[in-house]
Amino acid sequence: MTAEIVVENVSFVYPDGTHALADVDLQIPRGHRIAIVGQNGSGKSTLVRHFNGLLRPTTGRILLDGLDTVGVHVAHLASRVGLAFQNPDRQIFAGRVKAEVAFGPRNIGMAQVEVEQAVYAALEAVGLTGQADTNPYDLGYSRRKLLALASVLAMRTPIVLLDEPTTGQDARGVARVQKIVSDLADTGRTVIGISHDMRFVAESFERVVVMRAGRIILDGTPSEVFARESWDALASTYLEPPLPARIGVRAGVGSTPTDALLVEALSQRKVAAS
Amino acid sequence: MVTATAASAGIGRRMVPFALATIPLVASIILINTFLFPGATDTIVSIGPLAPTWTGLTAAAQATLRVLAFALSVAVFSLTTPTDDLLTDLERRGVGRRAVFVIGAAIGMVPRLVERAGEIVDSQRARGLDTEGARWRRVRGVVPLAAPMISSALTEVEERTLALEARAFSAPPRRTTMRPLPDDSQQRALRWGLLVFVVVAVAASVSGALGIP
Amino acid sequence: MSASTPAPRLSLRDVSYGYVGTSANVLQGIDLELAEGRIVGVVGPNEAGKSTLCLVAAGLAPLAIGGRLDGTVEQDGVDTRTLSAADLGQRVGILFQNPVTQLSGTSVTVYEEIAFGPRNLGLPLGEVATRVEWAADLVGVRDLLPRDPARLSGGQAQLVALGSVLALRPGTLVLDEPTSQLDPLGTRLVGDALADLAAETGTAILMVEHKTDLLARMADEVVVLVDGKIAKSGPAAEVLADPALPALGVEPPSDIRLRAALAEAGISFDASWGPALGVQAAVGARE
Repeated sequence: MTAEIVVENVSFVYPDGTHALADVDLQIPRGHRIAIVGQNGSGKSTLVRHFNGLLRPTTGRILLDGLDTVGVHVAHLASRVGLAFQNPDRQIFAGRVKAEVAFGPRNIGMAQVEVEQAVYAALEAVGLTGQADTNPYDLGYSRRKLLALASVLAMRTPIVLLDEPTTGQDARGVARVQKIVSDLADTGRTVIGISHDMRFVAESFERVVVMRAGRIILDGTPSEVFARESWDALASTYLEPPLPARIGVRAGVGSTPTDALLVEALSQRKVAAS
Repeated sequence: MVTATAASAGIGRRMVPFALATIPLVASIILINTFLFPGATDTIVSIGPLAPTWTGLTAAAQATLRVLAFALSVAVFSLTTPTDDLLTDLERRGVGRRAVFVIGAAIGMVPRLVERAGEIVDSQRARGLDTEGARWRRVRGVVPLAAPMISSALTEVEERTLALEARAFSAPPRRTTMRPLPDDSQQRALRWGLLVFVVVAVAASVSGALGIP
Repeated sequence: MSASTPAPRLSLRDVSYGYVGTSANVLQGIDLELAEGRIVGVVGPNEAGKSTLCLVAAGLAPLAIGGRLDGTVEQDGVDTRTLSAADLGQRVGILFQNPVTQLSGTSVTVYEEIAFGPRNLGLPLGEVATRVEWAADLVGVRDLLPRDPARLSGGQAQLVALGSVLALRPGTLVLDEPTSQLDPLGTRLVGDALADLAAETGTAILMVEHKTDLLARMADEVVVLVDGKIAKSGPAAEVLADPALPALGVEPPSDIRLRAALAEAGISFDASWGPALGVQAAVGARE
């Protein structure tokens, strides 16, 4: 069986001559949670914009469910791939929160009854149910960002791309985003997240792809990517492994990128010792 | 006159895109004037219901020349005058700092506006807005594209205002000039020459000597 | 030694503030003091009034945006309401989240961008140059001086914005989430520049920041703002380790969270793990 998204030897050059992606190969199976990390300008955003056709490879191919996306309109791909952008203010246009959220579902031809259900469920997921009739610009930045996320969730696409979803969120907002990622995965959806927040990455994703200068330099589980052997590669793109991974190495219990994994490893050692 | 100035500055070739940009406007001017000039009776040739007129064609030619002259003036200006030279000079001449800032910011903003527009189009296309399909479907995209453009411009203006205010933008003394600009006699002569030409041209136009309505 | 302590750089006494056109106060009864060379972090849930606190502390509210201010805000013992914008800018600088919107947009080089403030003051050209070079060195952007400010990375642009604020030589600096739009490298560059600044020049820094790991490294004191009021304040190590922090909507620093998780499992934190806490310890030498 082929993976849901296949990136085949893709290179991308911007019109101004910037080489943003170089020979990228990547396979993302259905239902996976995959994080893409790296410095600004490393090609993360350029890569995910290929998944819904906003950008087309200069060379190479992008396959969705085995079919080449070349020539398929973005408006059509939007019903399969939802992309929540980093800056909510680049998309908010409606006078009411619920109209903003309904925009995407309507565009992809969802039936009216389903639109209403989808809008309500998406607002519920981001905690904005009470603001359905509010003007989006009366919400603070962090809630506008959650609104933008809801407007993509409501499209109920099999693939969801999240570009820096936790930026500007407080502890509760981050917890909400983490819950949304796990709920999406539970319903069989593929989640692809871009983030600078290594703790969020280690806790919410099962696979981490590290990019540098348009190439993939590491690809594996959080335990693999944040293991001691990878630290030099991470440092080359200014990334630091999360604290529990660093302590796990000092404590000699292997690669433990989350608090839970470290506690578990230390507990097991304690039991074994006694 | 404009083309002569351009030629003397050696930028003739780079003005072509500016001229090309006027084509849609020029085409519609020619068509509308030639075929629909009100009250004109001097028909060139009758093709069914279409009746192009000489009066219309003349009016169209005049209007076209005006559009071209305007577009090419803008082109000459933007291609020959580095923004910072313009601003430095305005400042040295005692033009208020607010005016100088507004002119500078407006010129400097163009690339950022283009970039922002691109991000907005991408955001809405990702939500299924059809910008590639049938024309009537694309019309529906006007509000979702225009509204974020305006609102994000407003929020940015607010933030920038505060940031500039905090950098003593409204301090009373005259700003420090960074560098004097060279202004040789040739440049001065040309500037005065152009000014005289403008005065003469306007006077001639007003008195009806050129026959342009 | 003198009996009287010098006036704090920044002091807010019983400050309340409401925006124009609204009846509710966004800030209520805020008391805050900031001494020379101190870094005070401000944390709190979204929409608690943190950005408003920045505008009030920098004197921009009400000076630039109007609104109702009760209580007193003083810079070096002078009530900010008696100061003009130009005086204010030389006493307190402010830096916002987005590096792009706070650059003037009219400068062709980083040099001119940093010179923007000193030129507004009408300083002699020689003094402008001295200040530009001083500020550029302070934030480590001397190499960028001839560059176009529109073509910098986010971290570089934020350093330039910081430098152009510092060129007015303010004694106090107010920062509203200065690293939120930056990648890890940018965050590190800006964080290091700020820590050096406080240590070398005695600049007092008030800093709103979600990244409590950064505050744990830099701040002397931390204030928790909830619903426009100060819910908690004190030495950084103490406030950031407060078990009530998550309930207030604030993410504790990584090591505090980890220690809590370990304690819950009955595991004590081994002193030999300490070096792993140092941020740069894990990934080796910088550059």
